[in-house]
Amino acid sequence: MAIIERPTPVAPVVVTPTETYGLLKRPVSSTGWRSWVFTVDHKKLGIMYAVTAMFFFIVGGIEALLIRLQLAAPNGKVLNADLYNQMFTMHATTMVFLFVMPMAAGFANYFVPLQIGARDVAFPRLNAFGFWALLFGGIFLNLAWFLGGAADGGWFMYAPNSGPVFSPSNGVDFWALGLQIAGIASLTGAINLIITVLNMRAPGMSLMKMPIFTWMITVVQFLLLFAVPVITVALFLLSFQRNFGARFFDVAAGADPLLWQHLFWIFGHPEVYILILPSFGIISEVLPVFSRKPLFGYPFVVFSGAAIGFVGWGVWAHHMFASGLGPVSVAVFSVATMAIAVPTGVKIINWTLTMWGGKLWFTTAMKFAIGLIVLFTVGGLSGVTHSIAPSDTQQTDTYYIVAHFHYVLFGGAVLGIFSGFYYWWPKVFGKMLNEKLGSWNFWLMIIGLNLTFGPMHILGLQGQPRRMYQWTEARAGEGFFNLAFWNLVASIGSFILTIGILFFLINVWVTSRNPQKAPLDPWNARSLEWMTSNPPKEHNFDVIPTVHHLDEFFHRKYEEDEATHTMKQITTAEELIAEQERNADKHIHMPSPSYWPIVLAFGLPVITFGLIYSYLIAVVGGVIVLFAAYGWSLESSTAPESDFENPNSSTELVKHG
Amino acid sequence: MLNKRRFAIVSSIGISALLTGCATNAPQDTWQPKGPNSKLIDDLQQPVFAVAGVIGLIVAVAVTYTIIKYRDRGQPIPEQIHGKPALEITLTIIPALILAVVAVFTFGAIFKLAKTDDTEMIINVTGQQWWWEYDYPVQNEYGITQPIITSGQLVMPVGTKVLLRETSRDVIHSYWIPALNGKRDAVPGRVHTLRLEADEPGIYAGQCTEFCGLSHANMRMEAVALSKEDFAKWVANQQAPYVSPAAGTLAKQGEEVFLNQCVRCHQVNGLTRADGTPAIAAPDENVWSGAAPNLSYFMTRNTFAGAMFDLLSKQCRDEVWNAPSDKIGAKYLEGVTEDCLNQKDLRAWLRNAPEVKPMYANPENLAVSNGKYRGMPYLALSEDDISKLVAYLITLK
Repeated sequence: MAIIERPTPVAPVVVTPTETYGLLKRPVSSTGWRSWVFTVDHKKLGIMYAVTAMFFFIVGGIEALLIRLQLAAPNGKVLNADLYNQMFTMHATTMVFLFVMPMAAGFANYFVPLQIGARDVAFPRLNAFGFWALLFGGIFLNLAWFLGGAADGGWFMYAPNSGPVFSPSNGVDFWALGLQIAGIASLTGAINLIITVLNMRAPGMSLMKMPIFTWMITVVQFLLLFAVPVITVALFLLSFQRNFGARFFDVAAGADPLLWQHLFWIFGHPEVYILILPSFGIISEVLPVFSRKPLFGYPFVVFSGAAIGFVGWGVWAHHMFASGLGPVSVAVFSVATMAIAVPTGVKIINWTLTMWGGKLWFTTAMKFAIGLIVLFTVGGLSGVTHSIAPSDTQQTDTYYIVAHFHYVLFGGAVLGIFSGFYYWWPKVFGKMLNEKLGSWNFWLMIIGLNLTFGPMHILGLQGQPRRMYQWTEARAGEGFFNLAFWNLVASIGSFILTIGILFFLINVWVTSRNPQKAPLDPWNARSLEWMTSNPPKEHNFDVIPTVHHLDEFFHRKYEEDEATHTMKQITTAEELIAEQERNADKHIHMPSPSYWPIVLAFGLPVITFGLIYSYLIAVVGGVIVLFAAYGWSLESSTAPESDFENPNSSTELVKHG
Repeated sequence: MLNKRRFAIVSSIGISALLTGCATNAPQDTWQPKGPNSKLIDDLQQPVFAVAGVIGLIVAVAVTYTIIKYRDRGQPIPEQIHGKPALEITLTIIPALILAVVAVFTFGAIFKLAKTDDTEMIINVTGQQWWWEYDYPVQNEYGITQPIITSGQLVMPVGTKVLLRETSRDVIHSYWIPALNGKRDAVPGRVHTLRLEADEPGIYAGQCTEFCGLSHANMRMEAVALSKEDFAKWVANQQAPYVSPAAGTLAKQGEEVFLNQCVRCHQVNGLTRADGTPAIAAPDENVWSGAAPNLSYFMTRNTFAGAMFDLLSKQCRDEVWNAPSDKIGAKYLEGVTEDCLNQKDLRAWLRNAPEVKPMYANPENLAVSNGKYRGMPYLALSEDDISKLVAYLITLK
């Protein structure tokens, strides 16, 4: 655990190391690539999560573009059937498991400790391990492209189509095992963050004074904690079926292939909320800041988030309305699905009322947040039409569903993530993203995503099924506005969307070359992460703040005028931070870097690689894991001699090898 | 500026959606029900779509109004209001009430669509990669005195409550004729039922909607609803005795090619070998799913290869599909004549089936399926043999 010592009267002692701890000496670099590879700092790991996620976002985006190129015209020839099936399988897998989830993990890693006034997460090395496991799992998943073809059964991987006869390449093996590794990463991350939030909040921060982003992240970690084991079991069954001749989904052996569907969606539906709630959290931070008002109905937003977290477990079979469940089950899941629309609607109402009566400042972050409110509503409402089970039997597995979840996930999750980029960029990198480029970024994305996914409503309702590598003019209808027209519009839209996203990358490049530093508190923000330097010091806070309000930072800057109830500024961020530095804690122990997380994580893909190709390699991987676990357990989390001496003079730890 | 553009986007999508609803005549349009089951669904979903649209509009207008009215015009930082519980509870209860009303009607529809006790006719439907087999059990009241097995097109009488009993021989497929009902998965090891009923004679298009592998996109189906009289004629024809082509004709030579090659998987009812023994197909020895389309009365169908290709030339196909409701039956019962045969696609199929339809049919990659194909393999037929086969197939009516 990150050990945070309160100031003690004892004078600090610098110890020169004469002995090594554990199996290896500690890594010491505080600069250069080593400082990243062996870091346990939650902020560095947050950035690494985000960079990894961004890389996979580009990979998944290229896959999406190839899909749209193939479908731009009838009888597309860009991809053959086999490649197309791999493409849509990996597009979904990449976007869900390797983009949105790690991006949320990145935001959570970076900002949860800052928001709760902590100096790191509870288990910093486990945190590092989680990141490396995710990265190696993601690379492992995509290795299949170069080793005989990627998974081709769809991200839902329904049995029996996922069996060895129907999917003979190793793609599904890479998929199942790669997701196991990513699942380990998610589980360790979830445990870590839950313990961090429950144990390491600053004094005075009760749960109902916790920033809303941290709240939503906490709900997500609980969802992960319970959902990931379900997919883990399902993936084990699948791997045993494929590699060891087990017959869990084999009808001839008396099994029922619907077992897979239940397992997959018991995981898969909470997963939807795992993807969207972090973005709900982000915009619930952004909207109050740029409205100059607290979040409207904070307890309602918290409890609706928690309600979504609970009810989310009781709606999985709405993915299976056409699978022949029987009318009673269908009716029950139908009404449960309607029920979950209520807490979701509560959030939309609260966001709108947060802006109501405010003093709105339309920064790029704010624009993305407003974009989320409107576009997520579109996705939410089309979601309600699916809850009408009979109506869903017409819509399911058509492009209408594709439209629905892209409005939810692109219009919701991704817009929230971009809002977070613009909002927190100055905090993380000490520089402001360019607002003009941001505006281009925003508008092109909004236009692009509506052109791409809007027409898919029409395509689906007019009968174009999903997952078809080609569509035929014979089923496209007549007239100018036929399915051919809308397919073309969607494909053009996807390129506008791409240009919009390129503007973000350009913005990052332009900003990185701009020498101008961001002000300490550029947005006049409200929560604790802004009560740090830009970027924050390695130990985050010179003094652990004592919390009295929900928006602690804001209430330290402003005071309410008793007569008019308007807020008047009493101090600035600069003064608050200068004051912190003057009273800095004398003795801060931060966790030390370690080799073991990356070594342990590296052993995992070696094992899974061996399971596919040669058990000998798997044994080598097992030895790596055991060796790393052994070394890890002998190493104390904080090297005793690494001591933080004087926060005023240096932001670096005193480190010794 | 900001608000106008968003409004323009939202409204243009709305308007264009309305336009297309009227402008096209897509064969699989879910908003053009042609039978009581699909009408039940449509009557349920249209009000929901309308209410959802109105709510969407309210949110868009509320957000737009808010961002115009409360944009920063130099006003002071507002009072820090944390919420109004009464307002919030009201705004929570209203959508809950709307949904409760919707739920009541949804329940009714779910149970009506699951009814099976009013069935008037049963057809067994079996999915396999990548085609549908239709099996009509003996039902004397419709003149079906021996089982009829066909594929590609589901032929049914109008105004009759047909119950499909669906299953699958390999992976999960899904049966969907949007004009007649929603979809229902065909799952191996299970029998699922789906009600179908057509009000008018016509051809209703559908498509497999559960991802089922390489040629999922090519697994189509068509439901042909015939008047009761026309249906009786169709049934009678499907039970007519087999007529072997006259000796010495090209078609007779085609029958020999068929007996040498095709009969390994494809059954033609009544076909006998030269020694008089019946030719029994054994697809289970060659194909993973254990089935291949029964080709008896092949030319009474308009499609082949899982309804991926038309047996009719474009012009003849249009004549059938565009025939008025009272003429379509007669037109359909004409079947495929020599002039109307789509020679190009049929010959390409016989020449090299895996080339025109993606299938797992490469003999080198069959170790995992114990040497069995999925789909029709490349048969290395000579052009001569192909001509003979086409001449033979055209006689199967």
